Amino acid sequence: MDLYEYQARELLEEQQIPAPRAIFAQNSHEVAEAADSIGYPCVIKAQVKIGHRGQAGGVKLAHNRDEAILLSESILPMTIHGHKVNGVLVAEAKNIIHEYYVSISVDRTSRDYDVLATANGGTEVEEIAKEHPESVKRLHINALGDFDEEAAKRMADQIGFYHADAEQAADILLKMWKCFKDNDATLVEINPLAKIGDPDDESSKSLCALDAKISLDGNAAFRHDGWKRFDDPTQSDSLEREAAEYGLHYVHLHGQVGVIGNGAGLVMSSLDAVSGAGESQGTGVKPANFLDIGGGASAEVMKHSLAIVLSDSQVESVFINVYGGITSCEQVAEGIIQAFDELHSSKPLVVRFDGNAAAEGLRILAQANNPNIHVEDTMEEAAATAAKLAATALASKEAKR
Amino acid sequence: MSAFIEEGSPVIVQGMTGHQGMTHTARMLKAGTNIVGGVNPRKAGTSVVFESSRDGEDVSVPVYATCQEAREATGAVASVVFVPPRFARGAVVEAIEAGITTIVVITEGIPVADSAYFVELALSKGVRIIGPNCPGLLTLPAPQHEHGVNLGIIPDGIVRRGPLGLVSKSGTLTYQMMGELSDIGFTACVGVGGDPIVGTTLLEALQEFERDDATKAVVMIGEIGGNAEQDAAAWASEHMTKPVVAYIAGFTAPEGKQMGHAGAIVSGGKGTAQDKKTALEAVGIPVGRTPGQAADLMRDVLRERHLTA
Repeated sequence: MDLYEYQARELLEEQQIPAPRAIFAQNSHEVAEAADSIGYPCVIKAQVKIGHRGQAGGVKLAHNRDEAILLSESILPMTIHGHKVNGVLVAEAKNIIHEYYVSISVDRTSRDYDVLATANGGTEVEEIAKEHPESVKRLHINALGDFDEEAAKRMADQIGFYHADAEQAADILLKMWKCFKDNDATLVEINPLAKIGDPDDESSKSLCALDAKISLDGNAAFRHDGWKRFDDPTQSDSLEREAAEYGLHYVHLHGQVGVIGNGAGLVMSSLDAVSGAGESQGTGVKPANFLDIGGGASAEVMKHSLAIVLSDSQVESVFINVYGGITSCEQVAEGIIQAFDELHSSKPLVVRFDGNAAAEGLRILAQANNPNIHVEDTMEEAAATAAKLAATALASKEAKR
Repeated sequence: MSAFIEEGSPVIVQGMTGHQGMTHTARMLKAGTNIVGGVNPRKAGTSVVFESSRDGEDVSVPVYATCQEAREATGAVASVVFVPPRFARGAVVEAIEAGITTIVVITEGIPVADSAYFVELALSKGVRIIGPNCPGLLTLPAPQHEHGVNLGIIPDGIVRRGPLGLVSKSGTLTYQMMGELSDIGFTACVGVGGDPIVGTTLLEALQEFERDDATKAVVMIGEIGGNAEQDAAAWASEHMTKPVVAYIAGFTAPEGKQMGHAGAIVSGGKGTAQDKKTALEAVGIPVGRTPGQAADLMRDVLRERHLTA
């Protein structure tokens, strides 16, 4: 789960990592109040969960109240790279002397924690790594070892925060690690970690987190009160929310063929098969969603799943792909029939069953004798049929128009 | 001995007395797995009877308070873990400290910090963990044995013994591929799990199959997220003498969306299915467009190398 900058700042501040004063605001009235309280000039920063917002015009400097209001009125309605702006952060403007980059993340390959740092911060670390690989330091924190003050000091020396106070750098590293561990984060990134102050006054200089990105581990929600404080109802997809309430994993993809299956891998594979069929049939038909009913799903779960997929008005056909391991195809078939009876849907359904109780499941479908339920032997054939039926339905809609 | 584990190895089940644990212990017993105990401190001293579970006979499985006690009483070398996410770290650490050497973690939803901890601990002690968030391990019996070993939730009876090894990040795709190649057969099928940090990586599973004499070729199933497929490809190109055929799921997955598995996410343009396919093909590992096509590619490879009759 990715956080907004203003939420990430909250977690950094809880560890007393220095950051400029800032206030989150969601309308121009709040922005004016916040800017007056912060003082001028101040920075107005769009809150979106996507990078490169500065280049997209989402970060501006305001020199007075009128400018702050004007800027917020242009930034608040923005959509940046497909993400709707959720508010702005009004932050104290700082005089930047130098920028560094520091992040801690889960390293899937070395199976520990990765500390990435460079003295050339401010831009995308991937670009720096490409152009100046020698300037990016990659260090590791062992999952069993204790990352303490001593270790943080050694690491700060290795990173080489030149021109900065090495002790403060070590202190920030240690606090970042605490922030990472205490919050079950998968990423804590400060970019830039800036050296700020008056260039002519050595005593005024210090390190400060000017921007931050934090991702949290969804699996750890149970020990953080479900991350309720970071809940973001305005932004998520209504179908995704509804599915989550039933404990289903649904991802809205905005195509025409609804896809339901058991097991994340099989569902991903089914999406690829639908996409491939749309391409080879020359219709460009695409999957409408990812929906994993999980292991051992009941008829009830199947019924809810089908209801959610069919409530997407873009869906023209549904592909149900079940390989019964723990899941019984018989249960799935019963759920399909119940859902069809209750929903009075006339959208075509293409089913492929294999494994546990596949024969029983197919028998139930055959007995229902519903012309909208089609059965295929293989995943490839079922995907092709579902894509074809969706394309036909689209074409007849077009013709009516 | 089969890849990963010897036939007849004594096995304990952590979380056996829960619903999942009961269901799958019955299945594992029916498949011929030598289950010698369960662990649950609140039910220690009791035993659970699984009806007609070994050659038609009832099997009574004793419950022990700790892994240590279970290992001392039974000589168990392997454990299957079904305990809920919040207790998983404690359960796995307990098994490692009790001297269990193969631990299969089925549990889905374990915080990555907990997995990182027990995986690192296991690595430091030479203990093999399979999973978490995986379907487990199934071995098919070598000719001199009657039964293989079934540790986890992989359905029994889809496949027979044959020359293939199968390693996969996904459960149902494992079963799908077993079905596609059921006529050829397998030495062992292992699901390594769909979490960001796992105890056995795709690369480490390839190493195991490379060492196993009975395995002649390997099918590898990957999916979006991370670099495990690229790491496996790099290792295979240098060290693997046996042919590998792959399938990758998730070409249509959008950026930044988690597709079911905790580890299945393309982020910052990294971990895409296309990148994995390119890396595998660059070292001569063919990648099927669908599971069925990957199975056909495997048949071609076996024919070319005269590995099938």
